[in-house]
Amino acid sequence: MAGGLSLYAEGHSLLHRAHPLTKGVLTLSAIALAFTAPSATWVAGVLAVLLVLVAFAGVIRRLLAVAVAILLPITVLLFVVQGFANASNRTVVFGLGPIVYYREGLAFAAFAALRIACLVCATFLFSFTTRPADISEALMQRGLSPRMGYVLQSALQIIPQTLEMAGRIQDAQRARGLETEGSLRRRARAYLPLMLPLVLSSLVATQERAMALEVRGFGLPVKRIARYAFRDTTPQHVLRWALALAVPAAIVARVVGWR
Amino acid sequence: MLAFGDQGPRRGYTLGVLDAFKFRLNTLAIVLIPVCIAIDWAGHALATTLKLPLFLDSIGTVLGGLLAGPWVGGLAGLITNFISSGTVDPIAAPYCVISLAIGIAAGIGGYYGWHKTWPGRIALYVLIVLVASIGSTPLNINLYGGQSGVAFGDTVIYAPLVKAGWPTWLAAYLDELSGDLPDKLITVVVGILIFFGLPNRYRALFSVWRRSPAQAEPAPAS
Repeated sequence: MAGGLSLYAEGHSLLHRAHPLTKGVLTLSAIALAFTAPSATWVAGVLAVLLVLVAFAGVIRRLLAVAVAILLPITVLLFVVQGFANASNRTVVFGLGPIVYYREGLAFAAFAALRIACLVCATFLFSFTTRPADISEALMQRGLSPRMGYVLQSALQIIPQTLEMAGRIQDAQRARGLETEGSLRRRARAYLPLMLPLVLSSLVATQERAMALEVRGFGLPVKRIARYAFRDTTPQHVLRWALALAVPAAIVARVVGWR
Repeated sequence: MLAFGDQGPRRGYTLGVLDAFKFRLNTLAIVLIPVCIAIDWAGHALATTLKLPLFLDSIGTVLGGLLAGPWVGGLAGLITNFISSGTVDPIAAPYCVISLAIGIAAGIGGYYGWHKTWPGRIALYVLIVLVASIGSTPLNINLYGGQSGVAFGDTVIYAPLVKAGWPTWLAAYLDELSGDLPDKLITVVVGILIFFGLPNRYRALFSVWRRSPAQAEPAPAS
């Protein structure tokens, strides 16, 4: 439970060194393109490009291990439910008594699963190659309010701490005789005694944190200077615009009749 | 130092919905956001450890909304979703809009003091369920063709309904609702219980909080 949340994998590839904003735009446009593309073939194309980029960043094995664990259950569920029940089901593939599978549902499940795979790979491409602190830093340099930058960074720090505290509270309550196993009713009744002390103690700590921040000039309306600036190059700038404009272009193409 | 007070709503003044958004977040409210995000995570982690069949990942969002208004609730929901989609569950990314809306709904409810009366509490629950289910259905239809991605709802509700010839959107809505009804009930109940478990002194620090006429003035600090 404890430990960092980040999936960041140390590396020196071009993707690791790219401006966080470039990677962010790449991720968002890849997802948007996967969801505007008209057929499974196109989506598979987007997925192939993403996988090549992942391989290029040198994180493909680690990424696949995480991605497959997320994708497998939802893909199975899609194939089971859509093949059995989809509004456009006509052509029977096979039938076992009352359970009949249809080709249209299977095709739809494959299409949806590919799109979700694109969503997962694009997001992980970003998380595996970008240090979490760099995201808020880069956004602040582009005009995000430093107050929001603080929220992003401190959330990443507080979550592991809180989860660790949750573990301690769980041990303490168990030692006092709280049952955390057994029937659903018993487990549900254990939820509140675990949750309340955790929340109350973390909320009460906020007042001190707010004062500590105020003392250090958190609320002052002054301009902040970044400790270091991210390297941004003209090709990256062009790439960002090209990727961002590809999405409206794809939408227009769909409206005009891209099949 | 910490600037409170004059931005809060005035007494004897009819409150419009937009008034709930009209105040600048003070440092305490900003600091509350990451804590609410952590509560969202812990709520979900505890539900997973206890093997409860619910998500329970928006308790912090609702609590933030009740305590400090729609901005804190909404931002807490949004960022919770961003962080979880970047680390453990990328499929959650499109649903960030829903988390934002839940936080804002809780914030508006809290602004009107709905959590203090029984009809209000029910209204808060109904509002949050409606926001979550109506908002998620179009996303489910685009992402999974109408399934909710939860095995129980998909196999027990969605598949038989579509099979029986019901329109996909209606089956998708009922599938989503079957998850949201219990999930948001526990979320709202726990959120309100925590709210009333907090000391008055703490609640009063947030500009959105107002003492009801029945409650006594807090004793001056000595």
